[in-house]
Amino acid sequence: MNKKKGMGLLARQQAAGWAFLTPATLLIFIMSFWPMVRAFIISFQTGSAANMKWAEPVTRNYQRMLQDKMFQTAMGNTFLYLIIQVPIMLVLAILLAQLLNNKDLKFRGLFRTMIFLPCATALVSYAIIFKSLFATQGLINSALVGIGILKENYNFLGNPASAKAVIIIALLWRWTGYNMVFFLSGLQNIEYSVYEAAKIDGANAWKTFWNITVPLLKPVIVMTGIMSINGTLQLFDESVNLTNGGPANTTITMSHYIYNNSLGQGVANFGYASALSFIVFILVAVLAAINLKVGDSRD
Amino acid sequence: MNKKILSLVLACMMALVACCAMAETLTVSAWDPNFNIPALEAAAADYKVEHPDFELVINTVSGSSDVELAMTTAGSSGDYSTLSDIVLFQDHFIQRYVADYPDAWQSLEGADINWDDFGAEKLSYSTINGVHYGVPVDNGTAIFAYRVDILEQCGYTLADVTGITWDRFIEIGEDVWAKTGKYLLSMDGSGNDLPYMMLQAEGLSQFKDGEPFIAENEAMVQIISKLVEMIQKNILFLSNDWTGYTDGSIMGDQVAGVMNGNWIIPTISQVADNSGKWEITTLPTLTGAEGYAANGGSSLYITANCKNPDLAKDFLAKTFGGSTKTYDAALRNGGVITCCISAGQSDVYKEGVPFFNGQPIYSDIVEMGSHVAIVEQNDYHYTCRQYIGAAIQEILMGSDVATALQNAESQLRFAMDL
Repeated sequence: MNKKKGMGLLARQQAAGWAFLTPATLLIFIMSFWPMVRAFIISFQTGSAANMKWAEPVTRNYQRMLQDKMFQTAMGNTFLYLIIQVPIMLVLAILLAQLLNNKDLKFRGLFRTMIFLPCATALVSYAIIFKSLFATQGLINSALVGIGILKENYNFLGNPASAKAVIIIALLWRWTGYNMVFFLSGLQNIEYSVYEAAKIDGANAWKTFWNITVPLLKPVIVMTGIMSINGTLQLFDESVNLTNGGPANTTITMSHYIYNNSLGQGVANFGYASALSFIVFILVAVLAAINLKVGDSRD
Repeated sequence: MNKKILSLVLACMMALVACCAMAETLTVSAWDPNFNIPALEAAAADYKVEHPDFELVINTVSGSSDVELAMTTAGSSGDYSTLSDIVLFQDHFIQRYVADYPDAWQSLEGADINWDDFGAEKLSYSTINGVHYGVPVDNGTAIFAYRVDILEQCGYTLADVTGITWDRFIEIGEDVWAKTGKYLLSMDGSGNDLPYMMLQAEGLSQFKDGEPFIAENEAMVQIISKLVEMIQKNILFLSNDWTGYTDGSIMGDQVAGVMNGNWIIPTISQVADNSGKWEITTLPTLTGAEGYAANGGSSLYITANCKNPDLAKDFLAKTFGGSTKTYDAALRNGGVITCCISAGQSDVYKEGVPFFNGQPIYSDIVEMGSHVAIVEQNDYHYTCRQYIGAAIQEILMGSDVATALQNAESQLRFAMDL
C-alpha cells in the first residue's frame, strides 16, 4: 500500500493535525503574541512613538506608577466595580437560571431570550442609552420626580458616587443575562434524578440549592468568575461612553487611563501606557490563579 | 493579441490622465460641516477661479480627535501614506505633535504669505522654533454674549456688564437667578475652559517657564474661588459634558450668558426664537478692566504625505493667506471669523448681524482679537485643564482651595514628568 515508505499512519495523522493548526497558530502569534512581546519591550522605553529611547533607568515606567495618584484612583475604581458588581451579577444570574430552569414555567423561552437580549446590544450604544436615561433631564429623573421619590432632578452622572452606581447598574443590566446562559447550560447537565433523590430524603428547596445545585455548578461558577473578573479589569467602553471618566476622573477605569495615556489627549506616552497594561495583565493572571485555586475541588 | 496591446495602451492612458488629474488635486481633512468645511469649500471655489483644473477633496471626519489619532498612528508607524495632503489641526495640540513627529509635517517656508497681517497670538501656536507650519483658518477670540432682554428684565444694560470685576458679575448673576431662574454662565465640566480664558484675560498662563503655575498663582487661586462661588450660588451651570453645555445649557435656554471662543456663535444662533436678543462684549476680569482672551481654534498644516507641497503652499497662500473673497464666503457660509487683519476690514465684516440685535459683531471680534495677550503655551494644556477641573470638583465636595490646587499642580507635574 505504501508507495513511499515515509510516514506511518500515525505520523501522517499527526502531520495533518499540525497542518491544520499551523495557520491559526501563526496568526495568533503574529496578531496577538508578537504585539505582547513588543508592548513588553516598549514598556521599558520612553519618548514619542516616532523616536523611542530606553528609559533611564530601564524600569522607570514601572517605578513611576507607584507615584501615580491617577492610576491609583483608576485602580481603586476598577476594583470597586469588580467587588460590588461581579458577586451581585453572579448571584442574580444563578437565581435567574434556577427560576428559568423550572420545567413547569410557561413562556420559558421568551423569558430567557428577554434576559439574554441586553447582551446582544453593542457596548457603545447601550452605554450611550444609559447616559441619556440617567441624564439630568432624562427618563429616570422624570420618572423618579413623577412618582415623588426625588424632589428635583438629580445630576446622577455629575456626582462621583451616583455616577459609579450608574456604571454598576449598567454593567449588571448588560452582563447578567450573559452569565445566566452559562448557568442554564450547567443546570441542564445536572441529572433530574439527583433532585428527586433529595426530595425523597426530605430536603427543602433552599437545601437542595446549596447542597446540590451550587456544588455541581462549581466549574461553571469558576469559569464565569474568571471571565467576569477579566472583563471588569479591562472595563473600558462604559467608562469612556457613559461618564467619560468624569466627573473629574472619579469614575475612570484602568483601561480608560491607559487609553488616555496612549491615544487620548494628544499625549501619546506609549511607553508608560504599555507598562500600565502589563500591570493589568499581571493583575488578571493573579486573580484568575486565585480563582482557580479556590474553585479547585481536588484535595 | 491586438486587443491586449490596445487594452495596455488604454490602461497607460488612464494612468496618465489620473496622474495629470492628481497633479492639481489636494486632499484635506477637517471636521465641522457647519464651520470649517464651508470655509474650505469657499477657499476651493476661490482658488478655482485662477486654476480651473484645481480640485480640493475634503475628507470630513467626525471630530478633531480623529485627525490627531490619524497623526499619532501615522507618526508611530512611520507610514504617512494614510494622511491627507493638508490637515486641519487644533492649535493647542500642534506644538506637541510637531515635536513628537517632526517628519510628519512640512513647513511653510517659501510660501507667499504676509505673516504680519495675522494676529500675533494666533500665530504663536503654529510657529515652531521660528518656522511657520500652519495657516490660520479661524479666530479663537473669546466673547461674552449676553441675553440683553433678560438683563433688561433685571434692570441692567450691556454697559453694566462690560468692564466689570468678577465680584460685580457675581452680584448681577445672583440677581438674574433670583429674578428669572436662569444661570448667567455655563461651562462644560469635562472640558473646563473658563479658568484658562479668565487667566488669559489677566495676562497670565497656567504655565511659567515650562512648569505648572497653579498653586502659587494668586490670580488662579482667586479665579477658582470665584468659579466655585458662582457654581454654589447658581450663577454658573456646570454641565457633565460638551453636549450638556451646547444642547443643554445654551440651546436649552438655561443661560443668559455665554463666554467662549467666538466659534460658539453658530451654537447660540441655533435657537431662532432668541434672534435679536443677544449682544456681545468683552470679558469681566479680577480688576475690572475689559478682558480679552482666546480659546480653541485651528489652522491648516501640510503633512509629509503631500506630494505637491508647492501647490499646497500656493493654495493656502492665495486663499487663507489673505484672500478677502475666501474669508468673506467663509464668514457668510460657516460663520468663520478670520484673524487676518486686512481681510477683517472688508464690508461683509462691517455688516450688522440681526441675530445679535444689529451689532456688527464680526468687526468687533476682529478688533477684540488684536488685544489678546500672548501667554505661555504648553503641550500639556488639556491635561492641565483636566486637573483644574478635578480641583473644582474637590473644592465643591468640601476640600479647601489651596489644597485642591496643590493636588492639581502635583498631579500635573507628575504627568509632565517633572
